Amino acid sequence: MQYHRRDLLKAGGALTAVAAMPGFARAQSFAPKPGTWRKFEIVTKLEIAKPEGKVQAWIPVPSVNEADWFKSGDSKWTTNGTASLQHDAKYKAGFVHVTWDAGQSPVIEIVSTATTQDRAIDLSKPGQAAALSDSDRKLYTGPTALIPTDGIVKQTSDKIVGNAANDIDKARRIFEWVVENTARNASTRGCGIGDVAAMLTSGNLTGKCADLNALYVGLARAAGLPARDVYGIRAAPSQFGYKSLGAGSANITKSQHCRAEVYLESLGWVPVDPADVRKVALEEPPANLPLSDPKVAAARATLFGAWEGNWLAYNFGHDIALPGAQGPAVEFLMYPQAETVAGRLDCLDPDTFRYSITAREVSV
Amino acid sequence: MPIAAAVVLNVLGVSAFAQSESPPRLIAAPQDFKPAFTLEDSDRVATALNDLHGRPVIVHFFATWCEPCRVELPALQRLAERAGTLRVLTISVAEPEARVRTFLDKMPLHFPVLLDRDRSVARFWNVSALPTTYILDARLQPRLFVESDYPWDEVDVPALETSLSNGGEQHAVPSP
Repeated sequence: MQYHRRDLLKAGGALTAVAAMPGFARAQSFAPKPGTWRKFEIVTKLEIAKPEGKVQAWIPVPSVNEADWFKSGDSKWTTNGTASLQHDAKYKAGFVHVTWDAGQSPVIEIVSTATTQDRAIDLSKPGQAAALSDSDRKLYTGPTALIPTDGIVKQTSDKIVGNAANDIDKARRIFEWVVENTARNASTRGCGIGDVAAMLTSGNLTGKCADLNALYVGLARAAGLPARDVYGIRAAPSQFGYKSLGAGSANITKSQHCRAEVYLESLGWVPVDPADVRKVALEEPPANLPLSDPKVAAARATLFGAWEGNWLAYNFGHDIALPGAQGPAVEFLMYPQAETVAGRLDCLDPDTFRYSITAREVSV
Repeated sequence: MPIAAAVVLNVLGVSAFAQSESPPRLIAAPQDFKPAFTLEDSDRVATALNDLHGRPVIVHFFATWCEPCRVELPALQRLAERAGTLRVLTISVAEPEARVRTFLDKMPLHFPVLLDRDRSVARFWNVSALPTTYILDARLQPRLFVESDYPWDEVDVPALETSLSNGGEQHAVPSP
């Protein structure tokens, strides 16, 4: 479906009424609750199908540490190359950088652990959230290469936010607007690109999580709200019956998922995931559900303020320069990356690249 | 079948064009400076825009992940096959070599497919959405522009080439 920018801008001035319809969500139970920590082990195996000359790879590992919902554990590896754990300077995004000499058959296996739990913020009870540092506020309200905060992004954000009374109202209006005006596109490769200005300029607001949640982040930042993408991977099925919101098996090679957070005074970082609302609408049986369907409505009501701990966070990074790379910085580091003398490999083609990722739950 | 002229090109730069969202229209290209570029294809073969001086050129920005782009490229290929002096250069924006190579294995294209690895050319050319196409005259000055996919099969190629090869007069350019 194509959307037209003109229509979207018109619609942007009006807040949807769905948020004010609590009965909507009650028919379906989707109620993540913090309190039970779960530990996962993920194993990333990488080979290079056609090693030409010197080969390098950069493999993301969990590197988020947030006391109330995520703890990154160690990452250990075995390889016939030379590997080290590195972090980008700006976002502290962690990855294993490995190099192989010409003539080697590159192989690496990385075992990482991470511990997480459900999140659910009571938006009606502002508390004593840790203040955001000036540097983090600047970082998470600023632009990235694909998420400008001026121009059409600012214009759209202004129309959506309108006369919102406070930051939570702004954040929710943007969430509802993204849910109302975007669609998940099954043919989008990987998780999408996240070129927010291009989406708004073209009027094509379809894509996947890296598109739709980046749109949320850009619109929020343009409204002055600190917001960030959280790049990660689904590691287990949903415990609430949402097939579309969990990993279908231990093989999670193609289960990457980007979520988002918005920082609200007195509440701290609040989880949001409008992209998953659209995923539920597209994929939950019998598929192509309307937003009024109870299962979609429940996801919509829940995913502003909560998410399920069946997903592991890698990092918050954008525009990450890969050390030693010939190619440009990556927009985000959610997939393994590699280069040979023939150039960068296609991270969205794990079968020919070649990599696999598996996950299993282990005792905490 | 070519549709009667809907866009008037004034090669001297005084233009008034109607733009609608559906169907797409070729409109006057912004007259700001568009720097020449030299880019490699996925086999590391370099092509310089300046080498095409003297011919009208279509510069087409796309990405293999972009669904409308994938649909549009065969029509652009057919247009290139119908062309006389006109040349087509396509530029994949911010995609790895391997991805473009795999794409071309499945969809062979007979014009250069260049790699703008770091988006630098797309930025200098003010490309804000994909696909985007500029049509340059024989002096490599941008004349027409469309920021969406376009029905290239409906373009009257000889009329377009005539328009772009001459200077200083108004010419009708077929457009749906």
